[in-house]
Amino acid sequence: MKVKKLTLLLLLGATLAVVSPAQIQHIEMRVEGMT
Amino acid sequence: MKQHLGRQSGVQSVEVSLVEGRVEITPKDDGKIDPAQLIRATYDSGVTVAEMQITARGKMVKDSSGNLALQTAPNQSFAILPNEKSKGLDELAGSTTVVTVHGELYKKPPGKKKAPPSLPLRLELLETPKKG
Repeated sequence: MKVKKLTLLLLLGATLAVVSPAQIQHIEMRVEGMT
Repeated sequence: MKQHLGRQSGVQSVEVSLVEGRVEITPKDDGKIDPAQLIRATYDSGVTVAEMQITARGKMVKDSSGNLALQTAPNQSFAILPNEKSKGLDELAGSTTVVTVHGELYKKPPGKKKAPPSLPLRLELLETPKKG
């Protein structure tokens, strides 16, 4: 039973890690001299 | 400039507003985008970057000089400029807690009309970081 729970916990953790990677999500620049 | 930026590594899409002088860049999911490279590419296309803001997720780490930094990829991190919004982040350094931050990564020095971008970039938080 404990092994099952642990496996589920590991799977959940792995899924969350894939869904929410550390990275830049958005970049916004204010620029000058653009025509 | 739009095409030039769109060809840079890690760029998914580029939206340009001529009226507002604003450029919005959506990164690809591969995490290979490099803000410094984007500033250089913009400068190379004859346009000056006055300001760059980013929204990013990452872990807090201490860099080689002991300064607090946001790590967004194994080989990419941005030093955090200490301010009111960055208070409490020190405690998260080295932990696995992921935070989402919004801040100013680059601002053109005042007075200079067309100066090459000064690097390295430092992140000044504009909002209080959110966990997760």
